[in-house]
Amino acid sequence: MEKIKQNAIVKMIGFNRCVLLLVLVLMYVIFSLLVPGFAGMARIMSILNYVYFLGFLSLGVTFVIATGGIDFSIGPVMFCCGLISGYSMLNKGVPAPLALLLSILIGLIFGTVNGYLVAYWTVPPFIVSMASMNIAKGVAAVYTKTQSVSWPLSTDPVYGWIRNLVSFNGFPVGLVIFLIAAAICLIVLNNTKAGRYILCLGSNREAVRLSGVDTKKWEMLAYMICGLLVGIAAIFFVSAYTTVQPGYGDQYNNEAIAGCVMGGTSMVGGLASIGGTVIGVFIISLLQEGILALGFAKDVQLIVTGLIVIVVVYLDVMARRRKN
Amino acid sequence: MGDTILVMEDIDKTFPGVHALDHVHFDVKKGEVHALMGENGAGKSTLMKVLTGIYTKDSGSITYEGKEVEFHNTREAQDAGIVIVHQELNMVGDLTVAQNIFIGREFMKGFRIDDKKMIEESMKLFDELKIEIDPRAKMSDLTVGKQQMCEIAKAISHQAKVIIFDEPSAALTEKEIEDLFVIIRDLREKNLGIVYISHRMDEIKVITDRVTVMRDGGYVGTLITKDCTKEDIINMMVGRVIYEEPKTQSAVPKDAPVVLKVEHLNAGRMVKDVSFELKKGEILGFSGLMGAGRTETARALFGADPKTSGDIYVNGEKVTINSPQDAVKHGIGYLSEDRKRYGIVVQKTVTENSTLASMEDYMSGLFINKGKEKKVTEKYIDELKTKTPSPDQLVVNLSGGNQQKVVIAKWLVRNCDILIFDEPTRGIDVGAKNEIYKLMNRLASEGKSIIMISSEMTEILRMSDRIVVMCEGEKTGELDISEATQELIMDKATRNIS
Repeated sequence: MEKIKQNAIVKMIGFNRCVLLLVLVLMYVIFSLLVPGFAGMARIMSILNYVYFLGFLSLGVTFVIATGGIDFSIGPVMFCCGLISGYSMLNKGVPAPLALLLSILIGLIFGTVNGYLVAYWTVPPFIVSMASMNIAKGVAAVYTKTQSVSWPLSTDPVYGWIRNLVSFNGFPVGLVIFLIAAAICLIVLNNTKAGRYILCLGSNREAVRLSGVDTKKWEMLAYMICGLLVGIAAIFFVSAYTTVQPGYGDQYNNEAIAGCVMGGTSMVGGLASIGGTVIGVFIISLLQEGILALGFAKDVQLIVTGLIVIVVVYLDVMARRRKN
Repeated sequence: MGDTILVMEDIDKTFPGVHALDHVHFDVKKGEVHALMGENGAGKSTLMKVLTGIYTKDSGSITYEGKEVEFHNTREAQDAGIVIVHQELNMVGDLTVAQNIFIGREFMKGFRIDDKKMIEESMKLFDELKIEIDPRAKMSDLTVGKQQMCEIAKAISHQAKVIIFDEPSAALTEKEIEDLFVIIRDLREKNLGIVYISHRMDEIKVITDRVTVMRDGGYVGTLITKDCTKEDIINMMVGRVIYEEPKTQSAVPKDAPVVLKVEHLNAGRMVKDVSFELKKGEILGFSGLMGAGRTETARALFGADPKTSGDIYVNGEKVTINSPQDAVKHGIGYLSEDRKRYGIVVQKTVTENSTLASMEDYMSGLFINKGKEKKVTEKYIDELKTKTPSPDQLVVNLSGGNQQKVVIAKWLVRNCDILIFDEPTRGIDVGAKNEIYKLMNRLASEGKSIIMISSEMTEILRMSDRIVVMCEGEKTGELDISEATQELIMDKATRNIS
């Protein structure tokens, strides 16, 4: 065991993340054995479709959780982004590139407002995000007159190119974009002032404030980064799944948070791992796909993800208690 | 003195980086007051926490009333009859006295809480103790002394057989201490075993029967109080440590420039019209009882808490300080009395903590220059003799004294010229304590100016060039070290309290 921990590659990736990678591979093998025809490119592409949008959500919420906060609005806000930008593009003639930017902008606005309320008005993050979740659902429904929006398919002569963001002639463009985004997040979190302050204030806000740091500003920034990434997540969601319905999106909160916490980001703040979040997202996506492939109903996904969040957070709490 | 009621034998406890208790022996007899003495960080509180189940011991045994016991929390200890009266009072300010005394075991009348009965029972308790307190009064309206009496009443209502007083006199006036002693003698008459933790040598001679001394987490010895002198006890407490020579006169030249001037500072209820000056290279001691408003003054000055009014001048220039950011910008650093809450970021490394206040200086463009960061951290590890395996060590794994050094390093990295040290040696071990003293003297001689808040009289008299005394939020005196005595300071520290 100690020998494995000392291995150079293991050290570089981190022992916990190596375990997670192993879990991911094992899960894939088990699903492949249980479900005939599970293995294969078609399935992998399908899992990847899930990874893209969930990955951006998870990366975003990692920053918020690192501050010791939480954001339960990410799923519905993602839907709000997809609905408003899609409706604007299809019904109001907004050009496609602008519509995509609009999606990112809406995410950023939600993140900024959430962050402002949490940091400057010191409203508990739980309450803020619950409220903004409902606002996101409401705004989207009012704007689209409670109609679902179907984004154009790849065969569409005008808008079809958007789909290339996910895959181009079978090449997973989305994966490349997602991994680049993850790399940027990694650098921001570990090598910039913003990341340092976000992690430190998540660990001990008062000590950081008394060191002369503007903790409010940096805390708000974490929510803004989250909002930005949620706006991008929306683009990948509509590119992969076409239809967005007003009033939904909650289930992705849990999945994104599960991916993040599973990866080693602590719910009490101060500790975050982007690499862990990436692997966690793959595990959650594989699980969602596997559950359906095993012939269970979609609702089983909700139960399983819910249980995972509880177990993973419990393990995190226990690990901390042992340390103290 | 009667039979032995409690024996702690060979108690051992290790925290990461600290051997907190090293095979300690301690016993209490019925009908005695047993002093537990030792410097800050000697392990007194840890021992009592092991006894009452807040910490689990690594080895050793506790025998109580002839049976070996192991409590898992204070509740279990309480039920068995061992109760602590804490230095920091554990009272709910918004509840009444009676409600506080019976909290967690309220008398019920059906579904409703029977307040009337609780008030009656409280009255009985107070009668028994000959204290005059109205059980219907709101706890937060009582003085600290009265609140402590309520704690004692609460302890007795638990059918306590052993009561531990953890520095009960730290917040009390002379008069209140006398009242407390009357009660303690009364409890001794009733055959209770009493543990009395205190720093004040005079009290020990007056109230206790035996003294057990601890040093550096180890057991030094037990003496019969009336057979020993103050010096005997002090020698046992201090042991091998040779402290910095106490100052007999100020080391600051008369014409040294004033670096910080505070005028008519008001903040909240605890800071009333405080004015003082701090000179270059000076250590200005702030003395007073617990709750005198010293920390509150420092926090208001530093911008950590809002102030109502008052002017602050740094190097002769009037400055606005509304937040710690402003204070740091003007070269003021604050080392808090509560290191874990306000000083260090425990889950982060020594490096991350050291540069926390000065990130701007350790950036290359958008990115943190980790090499430069590490270099400056290593420099201060060296200079302050911080014991850490590497700059990448998490601060949580360092001992209290070394954590304190990391906080000091943070302000030195920031190059602050005015340092506020709030109880700089609280909870750190004896050896490290003297290192902090040396460091403060060195910093002062290098031209840094230090405000040192301390509740330890010996520390105030040993370190200060000048002493400001506070009482109930007001400055009640200012003394040069050449004229300062313990009695004079105590007199000023209790001036406003009748």
